[in-house]
Amino acid sequence: MFRKILIANRGEIAVRIARACRELNVAPVAVYSEADAAALHVRLADEAYLLGPAPSVESYLRVDRIIEAALAAGADAVHPGYGFLAENAAFARAVADAGLVFIGPPPAAMELMGSKTNARRAAAAAGAPVVPGTTEALASLADAQATAAQLGYPVMLKAAAGGGGKGMRLVARAADLPSAFDTARSEAAAAFGDEAVYLEKAVERPRHIEIQVFADTHGNFVHLGERECSIQRRHQKVIEECPSPIGDPTLRARMGAAAVEIARAARYVGAGTVEFLVSDVTREFYFLEMNTRLQVEHPVTELVTGVDLVREQITVAAGAPLSFTQDEIDWRGHAIECRVYAEDPEQNFMPSPGRITSLRLPQGPGVRDDGGVYAGAEVSIYYDPMISKLAVWGRTRAEAIDRLRRALDEYAVGGIKTTLPFFRAVVRDAEFIAARLDTGFITRFNERRAAAQGHATHAAAPESDQTARDLALIAAALAHAERTPAPDGVATTTTTSNWRVRGRAAEQRVGDLF
Amino acid sequence: MKLMAELDGAEHALELTRDGARVAAAVDGRRYELTARVLEPGVYLLQLGGHVYECRVDDAAASDAARTVTVGQQHFQVALRDPKRLSHAHSAGGAGAGRASLTAAMPGKVVRVLVEAGAHVEAGDALLVVEAMKMQNELKAPKTGTVIEVHAQPGTTVNAGDVLVVVE
Repeated sequence: MFRKILIANRGEIAVRIARACRELNVAPVAVYSEADAAALHVRLADEAYLLGPAPSVESYLRVDRIIEAALAAGADAVHPGYGFLAENAAFARAVADAGLVFIGPPPAAMELMGSKTNARRAAAAAGAPVVPGTTEALASLADAQATAAQLGYPVMLKAAAGGGGKGMRLVARAADLPSAFDTARSEAAAAFGDEAVYLEKAVERPRHIEIQVFADTHGNFVHLGERECSIQRRHQKVIEECPSPIGDPTLRARMGAAAVEIARAARYVGAGTVEFLVSDVTREFYFLEMNTRLQVEHPVTELVTGVDLVREQITVAAGAPLSFTQDEIDWRGHAIECRVYAEDPEQNFMPSPGRITSLRLPQGPGVRDDGGVYAGAEVSIYYDPMISKLAVWGRTRAEAIDRLRRALDEYAVGGIKTTLPFFRAVVRDAEFIAARLDTGFITRFNERRAAAQGHATHAAAPESDQTARDLALIAAALAHAERTPAPDGVATTTTTSNWRVRGRAAEQRVGDLF
Repeated sequence: MKLMAELDGAEHALELTRDGARVAAAVDGRRYELTARVLEPGVYLLQLGGHVYECRVDDAAASDAARTVTVGQQHFQVALRDPKRLSHAHSAGGAGAGRASLTAAMPGKVVRVLVEAGAHVEAGDALLVVEAMKMQNELKAPKTGTVIEVHAQPGTTVNAGDVLVVVE
């Protein structure tokens, strides 16, 4: 087993990996940017190395600095987490060239699957169905226009090097293609350093279902079932479940077998995810892409199978065989995850950076929060705004939803806007409860909500709520008084300033902890 | 302190006096005597008779926008207006009638500028693209008119509240 692992990442995933290291008695080593000196992942590690200034290209994407840090720390392995360099084959090679173990798949498998166009060819060769579209990057706008016309609108533009919704645009009509093509290319260039984009026919009312696969260096390949990730906004997943509410063991077995064949063809090692689009009507599935890394939504698989995927990544990288066989994998109960983002759901999910002034995390039965922040922490503009992943488990989907609703109500974040109010509404939504899911869910959900609000405006509040409403106004006024300096010329009693002093003192105490 | 408040669309008159932790308040004439403790910034524990209420006041909103106030597990949208300050806000707003500024909602980097001064734009036209937190966002014209000022250049960093484009 390794002695020390350098975690080449930040935020909640760096914290998650550090936890697995601790359980294996491996010392976690953190890296950080100038913006992250006081970040939770730094505080929880044994050692931390400064990479550079805040922008990721000068810090978390600096291969040379990360390897220097790993060597200086005397680490034997590097875990890339997800995002940043996790799917960068050159990084994996540089790690190996420095005599360190890269905790992830072989670089050749990353390269094959990293190019979405190559991946589509490989999947087709392994016998998996693929969505109609190009297997080559588009040469020009004219090429895009011709291809789109041939496939028929709507079409989906995707970054060849892509992931996470970056460089991805749904194009409904020909007139929208030129602008979407430019934006997708420049977003792809900014996010991945590669502006190549390709086209696929957009499958209508698709469900996004993915299969977790795992392979070791001894030739064992298994799958750990599916995750339903149909609830997306801006092509980014926000709620994930295991198992899929489709609840079809035959479909799971077929998709699992297809995913394992793709992994085998890629000579894969470690944790990987094969994404499929599933038609909600025909239950046909199409290969979408393979992510050669741990996924954000891995906790739902962990909750239902009981396997610690990060621990398994580390032991497999250290040369051990998989700790379980396909037959030993059993899916028990139901898990749901919400990605808590520092974003304002009322402003089209605009990022909401800032200081977290107060934080209450949900606890209790069946609740797991994988977070990367604390009260007093700063959510920076430089990185992905996800602050935590809240996952719950129940024996049934209905029980899991009950727990999720309770946990979301318990969860409180002050100082920044978060997606929590959005999730609170989703878990009470009849369509969600009935599991009528596809990638258009959020759009339809927002329409339902807007319509409901139009009706509710004039509804009289129940009499029993009067006290709560009045107290809401009083609390708002108290906060207003603390924020507002005494207006000049207006008499301010000494008791008022006492209050303000107390308020500031409370804030001071919280601030002093950091 | 006297304030006007709007809660979920309804207007309320609010009066508040404090003496240390003791608070006396009146909402539309309904009088309350309570004690208040600040547990964390924005988190108030209000004790009213034999009942204790946890109240959270969202402090992320801009100063005059509606805030979410949570009492126990109930959420309310509350906007406060200080009558003494109202006149100021009005006179400041009056000078800019007919003009609309596009301001940066958050810090970010200007990726592309799609208009020049003098150009005619329709409300909703994309004026520039700003990248923040790894996403590129198109900022759209706030109204139909002529672009009279452009303060953004590709590659430059902007801060929240910076005026990027003015349309008249």
